[in-house]
Amino acid sequence: MLLRNATTRKKELLIVSGLLITTGWVVDFFWTSAWSFNALMLLATLTAGFEIARRAWQGLRNRHTNIELLVTIAATGGLAIGVYWEAAAVTFLFLLGGWLEARTMSKTRDTLRELINMAPDTAIIVEDGDRTEIPARQVKEGMQVLVKPGSKIPVDGIVESGATSIDESAITGEPIPAEKQTGSEVYAGTINKNGRIYVRATKSGADTTLAKIIRRVEEAQEEKAPTQRFIERFASWYTPGIVGLSIASYLFTWNLELALTLLVIGCPGALVISTPISVITGIGNAAKKGILIKGGEYLENAGKVTAIALDKTGTLTAGKPSVTEIIHFSKATALAGVDPEEEFQKVHTVSLSDQNTKSLPSEGEELLYWAAVAESVSEHPLAEAILTEEQSSRIPEPDQFESHTGQGIEAVLGDDHIFVGKTEFLKQKGISISEGINKEIQNLTKKGRTVVLVAHNNKLLGAIGIADQMRPDALKMISRLRENGIERIAMLTGDAQPTAEAIAEKAGITEVHAGILPEDKNDIILEMQQQGHQVAMIGDGINDAPALASADIGIAMGAAGTDVAIETADIALMSDELMNIPEALRLSSKTMSNIRQNVVIALVTVAALLTGVFTGSIHMAGGMLVHELSVMAVILNGMRLRWI
Amino acid sequence: MTTTKTILRSDELSCPTCVDNIESNLNNTEGVSAAKVHFNTGRIEVEHDPETVSDEKLVKVIAQSGYEARVSQF
Repeated sequence: MLLRNATTRKKELLIVSGLLITTGWVVDFFWTSAWSFNALMLLATLTAGFEIARRAWQGLRNRHTNIELLVTIAATGGLAIGVYWEAAAVTFLFLLGGWLEARTMSKTRDTLRELINMAPDTAIIVEDGDRTEIPARQVKEGMQVLVKPGSKIPVDGIVESGATSIDESAITGEPIPAEKQTGSEVYAGTINKNGRIYVRATKSGADTTLAKIIRRVEEAQEEKAPTQRFIERFASWYTPGIVGLSIASYLFTWNLELALTLLVIGCPGALVISTPISVITGIGNAAKKGILIKGGEYLENAGKVTAIALDKTGTLTAGKPSVTEIIHFSKATALAGVDPEEEFQKVHTVSLSDQNTKSLPSEGEELLYWAAVAESVSEHPLAEAILTEEQSSRIPEPDQFESHTGQGIEAVLGDDHIFVGKTEFLKQKGISISEGINKEIQNLTKKGRTVVLVAHNNKLLGAIGIADQMRPDALKMISRLRENGIERIAMLTGDAQPTAEAIAEKAGITEVHAGILPEDKNDIILEMQQQGHQVAMIGDGINDAPALASADIGIAMGAAGTDVAIETADIALMSDELMNIPEALRLSSKTMSNIRQNVVIALVTVAALLTGVFTGSIHMAGGMLVHELSVMAVILNGMRLRWI
Repeated sequence: MTTTKTILRSDELSCPTCVDNIESNLNNTEGVSAAKVHFNTGRIEVEHDPETVSDEKLVKVIAQSGYEARVSQF
């Protein structure tokens, strides 16, 4: 082998052949020596042609005819009929084009390489106080890994000790570092900013979230968009067609140069590369922002969306209920000689959004305490909200506990008897509920709160308002979607009408389908499709699986850490960042128009080349130049998607 | 014969016609049971018997087809 390394060899051959061609022109200019001009051009053709002929031969050995074979035939034919300069130019330009393409293509594959390089190769594991550095792939589940400040996390795992902030942009695209402490989940490829942490490994190597993202993105980039499949079918008969045309035109006209020129433009390069280049760049750029698009087909569908169905819980809202108000009775003044019965009726509502728990009056504290005791063993989602609010660390577990599903719970701790639940439940238990508090409860329900009442030893203490609060960006997101031309936006939720409407109003959504079952969500999407809409369904990826599947595009939110969502959603948003929804749709439609531009560039070039060849205005060298220029134009146009 | 799957990556694939070339060169190599070249990403998946064909040999076969490639962890 002349030179081992293919790239270097190509570069050296290019330089030599380029120098020979230049010398040929210089010699021709000063001395007009046809003999030495042709000799230099012949040498240049042989230099560049060597590499091309070698590939052609390799193809033939594997019983493949390739473009290199066509170019070799054209160049040989050119030498045979004595058009040395044309032959030299064809081989030089073909090699140069290939080299430039390889360089620019590798740039488009950069985004992915950045992701792959995010994962460090080694991990420091700690065993019985001893530290050893081992390849990150070999870390087993359950091993303890030390991550120093400033270094990348080598595995997926749970923080066992230490606290830090972590730059998770590799996974979520989110630039603001996330705070992590004992119990937090961390991902391979994220960067530990400032604290020393010990992590208990859960996954390593190819099982990590980062590896899954990379695989997902690659599969997406490899999956062919419908446009690409069409183009490839076209391209597969284009080359044989051109060869046939070349033979036919030779037989009819006996013009060998015309036949050879046709062979030169026989590579459908710009055509075959037009769609993939846009798809790779578009999907790669989206991945960098934490938006995983499943493939070219979904890119096309997402670019055409006209209607959106949104799940409420976990999408428009944080998905975690929290205590928003506490209603309690005042008894302080009752001691000051006023009629205790009357004063006891006085109801106070404390809103927790503008007041923190510390300044909660003792009556409120007491109410929260008893509610927490009763809820401490409950697995109901509302229990978590109450327990988070009651921060006292000494909540005793009740001695007896009974849960009435959908109604409430009762608990006994020593002599204390506690009921927590809906109004009807407490009434059933014989607790009297005054008109005053009932009015407050109805007020809160209208505002979209879930209200639970708390009674202690058969006396009503008050009530707790709980709500799943809207994400701050929801309103901005909805208006951005409308600006981007989405005609119909509907909220679908299993929650009750008042709760749903309260959120919808805040978010600027007018169409609300509340209190519906998962099957109903499906029906609504089908109805939207029947009206001619291209529908995107946005959900958390788990509860909404059927609706996500029947929509034209299923978008799952907060997919980091939930494999199901990454695997099944058409578009998976790694973070909870709502603005990524309009961003995903925008990137999709930008990519789509980029594909269309590229296909037009490629087709126009083919048409122009064929016309030029048959009208005699394009010869071999010119044909190759236009062809290579069109390939570069398509690649550079596709690369623009990196910066949008 | 035990086969393993090795992932290689190349940044040099510039025209989809090279895919066939690399694939058939790999498939004609003894010990390789399946080879797939993904043009868009430059990823090359090879199922092979590591006893007969080493990773280095795979890199060499691809180099003979005219392309540089290296072994990747995933």
